[in-house]
Amino acid sequence: MTTELAANGKPYVHHHGAHCETAVTSALFRYQGVDISEPMIFGIGSGIFFGYLPFIKLVHLPVTAFRYKPGAVFHKAAKRLGGDFVIKTYRDPQKGMDELRQVLKTGQIVGLSTNLYWLPYVTERHRHNFNGHNIIVLREIEGGFRISDPTFGDPVDCSADGLDQARFVPGPLNPHGYMYYTKSVNPHPDLRGACIKGMKDSCSLMLRIPLPIFGVRGMRFLAKKIIKSPDKLGFQEACRHLAGTVRWVEETGTGGAGFRYMYAAFFHEAAGLFSSDELADLSKEMTAIGDNWREFSLTAARIIKQKDKAEETFAKAGGLILKCADREEAFFRKLQKVARQLKA
Amino acid sequence: MKDQKELAMELEDEIFNDGLPKAYYKHNENGQYVLETNAPWAEKVSCALIIAGNRANLEEIRKAVLAGQKSPLCYHMELRQLDPGMLAKAAGMAVFRVKRHLRPDVFTKLKPSVLNRYTKALRVTLEELKTVPNS
Repeated sequence: MTTELAANGKPYVHHHGAHCETAVTSALFRYQGVDISEPMIFGIGSGIFFGYLPFIKLVHLPVTAFRYKPGAVFHKAAKRLGGDFVIKTYRDPQKGMDELRQVLKTGQIVGLSTNLYWLPYVTERHRHNFNGHNIIVLREIEGGFRISDPTFGDPVDCSADGLDQARFVPGPLNPHGYMYYTKSVNPHPDLRGACIKGMKDSCSLMLRIPLPIFGVRGMRFLAKKIIKSPDKLGFQEACRHLAGTVRWVEETGTGGAGFRYMYAAFFHEAAGLFSSDELADLSKEMTAIGDNWREFSLTAARIIKQKDKAEETFAKAGGLILKCADREEAFFRKLQKVARQLKA
Repeated sequence: MKDQKELAMELEDEIFNDGLPKAYYKHNENGQYVLETNAPWAEKVSCALIIAGNRANLEEIRKAVLAGQKSPLCYHMELRQLDPGMLAKAAGMAVFRVKRHLRPDVFTKLKPSVLNRYTKALRVTLEELKTVPNS
């Protein structure tokens, strides 16, 4: 936690967060005086999801998404909490940068979508060609901008050229200078109503999409693929695919175990808000599911390291995901019932 | 065997001591959810494997370019983490043309106007596009 000053001298507190989008949204609300934590935003914005997209490849590996599509969490949370945001995209990079400078001069802090590959301060392990990394610009400094990137511990400096490059990338992964800042925020948002909406939405996302690659069905699909992978791809390549999956579970800003721990934290807070024991139980259950996902990644890592070859097999790793799928199905069916009984 | 293991450990240390730790939620004994910055072991292993794979892949392509089997365009495309489809969209060209330009004999005959499209799409200078780094 560090305190920085925005352009008009108003203090801004930088919190270290797990995920870029939820942390940025919560920081924007906090800056306006609405104290709301990152897991809360994640739950209200219905962030939890699962999708296995074998036809989209990043650096030759298929995408496994554990959250809903980039941008959606922010939109949903803002709508449900009654925040009014100005959202803009640009074709012309020059115009985009000029407007950013103008908005910063009025004392606003501005959220931006950038391409992670081109941000100058990230290191090799964070360098994905991913166009939905959210950051906050605090103020203009000499030759650049002061940036609060909540996925990292401290605010950083970024050169103007570097930010320009990251906001406008040629090709299909162009964020088009996507920029958002607050117009007005409801100082006393209806947290309980928003929580219920978020829970119900999450249930239908996880259970009711009639495609085999999303929700709990998607988990079973991925599990079957993993079990078959050593025969189909060969051991080395199968290991690479497995490592790719683990990277999606643990690394890409998920807060551990594919957002499951963060979602459990949301239920922990919601249980306090509604003073409901059922929600507290659900929080414990979600933590257990998260432990299950963590066990999957441990098994995967042991396969990669070739420890206990007889015990740690692809079949075991796939079986763990199947177990996760069953437990999550039961979890969201229970949540449907619980959410119906909650009163806003 | 031991050397390989040591190399993998060194790579893990190298890429995870970059001064930019990520945060992870953890359930502590008091029932609270707190943030900590220790990366899980599984993540370190998989990240090291993938990054080692990417580096080896890039190095292989660089050698193939120097041996005249692939065009330098292939190297720069891989460096930017793109595939021919994405590069084609970025440069405003058909995919089959981009794939053709990955052949060294075709690439050497390209007109400057076509090369300029690639320099804009990949953000490299014309000189860089025609060569690969020596080491």
